[in-house]
Amino acid sequence: MSSEEARKLKNPVPFTKKSIAVGRTTFLSTCAACHGPDGKAQVDVVADATDLTNPKAYKSGSSEGEIFRSIRDGAGETMPPFAAQLSGDTEIWNLVNYIHSLWPENMRPPLVEEKSKE
Amino acid sequence: MPNENDRPATPPATTRRDFFTGPAAAAAAIGAAALTSKPLRADVPIPSITIPKEIPANLAEEPKPGSFQGRGMSGAEVFAKLCVEENLAALFCCPGNYTVINALAAAGVPAYGGRTEGAMCAAADGFSRVTGEAVACSGTEGPGFTHMIMNIAAAHSARTPLLVLASNMQIAGDDREAFIQTGYQQPITEGLKKYGKRLIAPDRVWEYGAYAFRNLKSGVPGPVHLDFPGEVARARFTDPANLKDYYNKSKYRTESVAHPSPVDVKKAVDMLTKAERPLIVAGQGVFYRKATGVLMEIAQKADIAVVATGPMKGHFPDEHRLSISLSPDAMMSADCVLFVGQYCMPSPGEYHFNPDVKTIRVHPVPEDLGRNWPLDLGIVSDEKTFLDALNDSLPRKKREAWVSEIAAAKVKYEKTLNDQVELGIKYSNQTNHLHPAVISKEVHDFFYKGKIDPKQTVMGGGGWTIGMFMGRWTRAYRPGQVITCGYQYGAIGPDVAMTIGAGAAVQRGIGPQAPYKGAPVACVSSDAGIAYSLFELDTAQKYRIPIIAVIYNNNSWGMWPQAVGSARSMHMYLFQENLRYDKMAEGLGARGEYVRTQQELKDALARSYTAAVKENASTLINCQALKEFTSARDYPPGVYITAEPGPGAFAH
Repeated sequence: MSSEEARKLKNPVPFTKKSIAVGRTTFLSTCAACHGPDGKAQVDVVADATDLTNPKAYKSGSSEGEIFRSIRDGAGETMPPFAAQLSGDTEIWNLVNYIHSLWPENMRPPLVEEKSKE
Repeated sequence: MPNENDRPATPPATTRRDFFTGPAAAAAAIGAAALTSKPLRADVPIPSITIPKEIPANLAEEPKPGSFQGRGMSGAEVFAKLCVEENLAALFCCPGNYTVINALAAAGVPAYGGRTEGAMCAAADGFSRVTGEAVACSGTEGPGFTHMIMNIAAAHSARTPLLVLASNMQIAGDDREAFIQTGYQQPITEGLKKYGKRLIAPDRVWEYGAYAFRNLKSGVPGPVHLDFPGEVARARFTDPANLKDYYNKSKYRTESVAHPSPVDVKKAVDMLTKAERPLIVAGQGVFYRKATGVLMEIAQKADIAVVATGPMKGHFPDEHRLSISLSPDAMMSADCVLFVGQYCMPSPGEYHFNPDVKTIRVHPVPEDLGRNWPLDLGIVSDEKTFLDALNDSLPRKKREAWVSEIAAAKVKYEKTLNDQVELGIKYSNQTNHLHPAVISKEVHDFFYKGKIDPKQTVMGGGGWTIGMFMGRWTRAYRPGQVITCGYQYGAIGPDVAMTIGAGAAVQRGIGPQAPYKGAPVACVSSDAGIAYSLFELDTAQKYRIPIIAVIYNNNSWGMWPQAVGSARSMHMYLFQENLRYDKMAEGLGARGEYVRTQQELKDALARSYTAAVKENASTLINCQALKEFTSARDYPPGVYITAEPGPGAFAH
């Protein structure tokens, strides 16, 4: 997928607390070794990873589609593609939502209220 | 795809100045030196590498422990007597601390002398990891002791019952820098041991030996560090009455262990019974406490999934239908998890579990309950007594949906691995170099899918890139079959030495290795890793401990991508290309194989195994690779960290 195609992608999973929580679970078990448990990539053991709390520092684009692409297909020398390790696109989009939640408040998408079950 | 090995190693010299400051100048200097030195005469045969006759003769001698009669016992002999009574399983050392190591060997403790103290410390750790026994390592006071530090730390992270011994110097020389090697050991192991003591009172040598074994054999194990100044090691005792607290082990320590409260057991039974997808994380405590049988009974009785964790694996067999180790997606849906014998606790997120999972943790030390991972139920108990009690109370239950989910997740995971191998084969064929996925699969197939009993071979593993790939293909089918050399501390390098130590245990048929006594062992490591213990192939040959060491040679530290984009940095991460570790192995009396293709590796494994079985010969198989296989961009998937727990787990 090209950068241009990636930028056109739209996240089908709403930016909700639930999605963020699900994404956090995936993040901790799959991403934290390189990006650190807080996403700041201050862990210097494994890779020269990107500080996910600062979208301006993203090397492969910071639109939601570009983040999706980086997770799914890998990015640069050290970011592996995670398509095979994750359960599917929905899990990746939840992860994108969690990564958005790490951004400065004024840069995050607006939080979507979950509908009550009643 | 360009072959990186086809690049010239050094750009051609372009100026006269460059020529005289570059490699050509060094070569010219060597050539000039050769003209002035006397060449070897062609008719003088180079002697072959041989094991000195003294070694087998010496090993065949009967033990000769010290005695209080006549000249009496030295302090070292008193300590050795205690070690023998405690069944100290082995000693791995380099000379130094002479009085103590000689006394231990003479008293009958199986002893091994190697090439570096650090590697011998790792070997002792490896021996312990595959047997569960307390093992000792030793080195001289200063440099020998400090050389062990990395591997003492690794043993500490792994909670190994490792007795670290060192000294030579006298108390009388303290603070004077008398002669050489003055050092203060105990502060150096601060934070790396369960207990430590510099023995300064000769009459308390037995008492502190008791301290050591009380710590090694009670509760959660860990390294114990004793240093023996000359006044203690060389003191003489003709009457045991002159020794303080000279009691039998039945008086200075106890085999009694904590039993769980019946109320706690009932709560655990209720939680597990209500769960639809229960999971037991069986840590190393299950192995140490020999509770694998009852663990199996519990799992089968109630269809409870199990994953074995820790610095050794196999306390629950990977191929069992209830093993969840190869089913990471199913782990995420577990609704109740029981940690038992998990000494190194992860934090939530570090295991691939639902963060809301109900959690029970059983641990012999109450202070550790609740550390890192929040509890729904904490139970103070020995691992085996708890599992026995649980087995007595737990009702039978079928969980067919859960078992099916584990099986489906396993199929998916194995497909992912096989897809990576297909990619690896493609990359290998394109480049004529071995991709780590291919090496891992070939080693897997040779030891687990061919003519060899898959339960037989003890396997150690390390390295970075190859460690990630091989970890996913390593299997444990019985207790003590696999050691994760880099467990928690992440040391790159002790792998081969650690596996040689494990091999010593296999040669002797200690504990769970008894059915496989005499079998070869295998280790898969890297070119970066082998530098730390290559010379121990001499030790393996000397003691006829056959090891097949498969070395992934990608011409670099696996972390080389850290230098990408950083000026003037990459050179620090690279080695000379195409180094011949196989030739180095031959120089140490072992066999060497150099392979670049899948078929060459298959053939080399077969030859190496035959040599191991027929001649007790060790082999290093040098698998030529490319550093670019680490790159996610050039050769996806590159390197990624496997979700834990499971076969590739190394953090917890």
